[in-house]
Order: sequence, then structure tokens, then C-alpha cells
Amino acid sequence: MTRVLIIDDSRTSRRMLRDIVESLGYTVAGEASNGRDGVAKYEELSPDLVTMDVTMPVMDGITALQEIIERDPKAKIVMVTSSGQHHKIVDCIKSGASDYVIKPYDPAETGRVLKAVAER
Amino acid sequence: MFDRIFGEYLYKKGKLSQEQLGSIFEDENGVFVRLGVLAVSERFMTEEEASEINHMQSGSDRRFGDIAIEKGYLTPTQLDSLLKRQGNSFFHFLQAVINRGYYTLEQLDTFLGEYQKEMGFSNSEMDALVSGDVMRVVNVFLPHQDRLYGRLCGIAIRTFLRLIDPRAYIGRAYITNKFETDRFACQKSYGTHSIVVGFAGKSDALLAMARAFGGEEFENVDLDALDAVAEFANCVDGLFATEIYSEGVDVDMTPPQLYDHPVALKGQRFCIVPITSRDRQIEFIMALDTILKVEGIL
Repeated sequence: MTRVLIIDDSRTSRRMLRDIVESLGYTVAGEASNGRDGVAKYEELSPDLVTMDVTMPVMDGITALQEIIERDPKAKIVMVTSSGQHHKIVDCIKSGASDYVIKPYDPAETGRVLKAVAER
Repeated sequence: MFDRIFGEYLYKKGKLSQEQLGSIFEDENGVFVRLGVLAVSERFMTEEEASEINHMQSGSDRRFGDIAIEKGYLTPTQLDSLLKRQGNSFFHFLQAVINRGYYTLEQLDTFLGEYQKEMGFSNSEMDALVSGDVMRVVNVFLPHQDRLYGRLCGIAIRTFLRLIDPRAYIGRAYITNKFETDRFACQKSYGTHSIVVGFAGKSDALLAMARAFGGEEFENVDLDALDAVAEFANCVDGLFATEIYSEGVDVDMTPPQLYDHPVALKGQRFCIVPITSRDRQIEFIMALDTILKVEGIL
């Protein structure tokens, strides 16, 4: 079963993502509320898939993405952002993100993206 | 949204009771708006002319619009705009009031005129209010026609109607340099513009908002409930950033800030938009290119 790590500073956003992840039949391996804890949880849990918020305290999502990809170039990471600013999304993809979703969540679209990345 | 605004006005003026208003809102969705009601309320025709056509229709199967054009009471362009407005919730509201027998169209037209006079709205502003276009409605209630404030507020209210409460409505917004509130959640962005987007209010109002957006039965406006409010502010901020990005405007968002205690907002000029949702008032706070400080109140 696909195990997912959710990294997001918003409890509400984590809960919404957890619902979507579980609706796909996946399990939530763990959660983290900032990039630094997220990197530590990735090393501890070795999840199959990560959702990573871009804007977070302590360590932002792009830095955390780069740190995880440095340790595990095959990591599957879906970035989560409320902004559709094109160049920032391109920066994420160039840094190794597999895909991205934009808030507010459309559960069907978010589920489709997570599933497509998990099955790659 | 104007159906709610005008309904609230009629309630406050003692023209409709709370029960009557509730029954009208319940009726709205199933109402068929008569073209004559629309034509008179748009002042394209007089009530006498509409009655005359209704009378002529009773003896034939001809359509109202065809007869009105034939008699020169409506132009084809006017008919086209009326047909487009038949799905507008404000006209559904008027028709529901008439169907219930509470008031005639003529009386409602008088009340509408009194509302316009009291609020000091121009005819074009009244046109915007009844248009059903949220962006146009929002601009009528903003204190000045600043393009960015109008767009940010329009995005916020459209998103609020979509994700929080489709029956919410706004009141007249105002500019201030100080505002005190029980609770506050906001997000700040920096870059080409500095932007603060936030929601303030009493506990019960923000609790309802947090429950609606977060989909959770929060019991108090604690940090978890405020997180849901802030997450909504984050979505509004993101939608705005996305829209202005196409014009070369670049901003970086910062993590949301939550205040589960009374605070004073202080700045040079920021805008407050009252939103009524589920009979409670929430303040939508916008600050563009100005410093907004948040200080705790002891």
C-alpha cells in the first residue's frame, strides 16, 4: 500500500490532504508542520510519496524539497501551493518536484495528480 | 447577493418580518420570474404597459416579449438583456415577494428607490447591484475605485460565496487606520506589492466560517479553528497572486498568522469589508502597500 508523508504547516490543509490520500486507498505514514521536520520524517519513514507545502515556517517547502532530493533523487514529491505563479512552479519542478497541486483543493484533481505520481 | 442585501434592508425597515424573509429565500430557487416584473423593475416599461401586455396574453398564446416589441415598449436589445436576467437571484427575490402577496412590484420599486436614496447610490451603481455580477457589486461597496482593492475584494467575496456561504453578502466597506477585534487570522505577502489578507470577528462568527471551510465541528475559536480561517485567507491570497502574476506582479507569501485573543490592527490606511454570513458579521481586512501592525490588547 502506498505510504504518504504530508508536510504542511496548516492543520486544516493536512486534514484535507489526509482525506484525499485515504480516499485513494493510500495510508498516511506521517505528518510534519515545517520543512525541517519534514526532511527528518522523510529519512525516518521512507514514504512512497510526499506532499509538500511551499510556504512554511522554519524551513520553506522548496528548501525541504531540495534537501530530500539531494538525499534521495528518486523521491516522489508533489508540491502544494495556493499560488499559480508560473515561475515558482517551474522552480519546484526544476528542483526535482514530480508535480504540483493548487489550493483550494479540488479533491478529484488532487487525487488524480497524487495517483499519477504514485504510479510512475 | 443583492437579494440578501435588499431583503435585510426591508427587514430592518420593518417591511418584512424575519419569518417572511425566510420563506421568501426558501421560495427563491423555485420561482419563475415573469418578464413583465423584470421589464418594470429595469424601468424599460411602466407597470401599466406590463399589465396591458399581460391582459393581451390572456387571450392568446403569444409571448410577452414578442408583444412588447410589437407595441414598441421594448427594443430587441432590451428583451435580450431581460431574458439573460431571468436567472438573477434578485429578480427571483422580487418575484417571490410578489407571489407571496407581501407587496406589489410598484411597492417594491418604491422601496428600492428609498434604499437608493438612503445609501446615496447613483443609477449606474444600482444597475451594478442588480446585475448579479459579484465584481460589480463589490465595487459599489468599496470606499474608492482602487483597481487592486476591487480585484482582491472581488476574488475574496467570490471565493467566500463558493467555499463558505453562498448566501453571504457584504456591507459598505471603509478605510481606517485602527481596528480592534476579538480574533484575527491573516496572511502577508511581499514583493511588487505588500499585501495583507485577513479575517476578523467575534468568536461565533469566525467559528461558523472555520467549520464551513475546514469541514470540522470546532467547538471554540482556538488556534485549530483559526488555522482553517487562515487557510482560507491563504487561498484568497494565492488566487489574487495568480491573477496579478500575468501582469508582471510577483509576490512571495509568508506563513499565516493567528491571534486567538483580542488585538488592535494599526496602519496608515487599510480597508475593512463587513461580510454577513449566517446572521453573523465577519470583517474582511485588506491592506495593500501599507504597513499593518497587529498588537495584543491587554
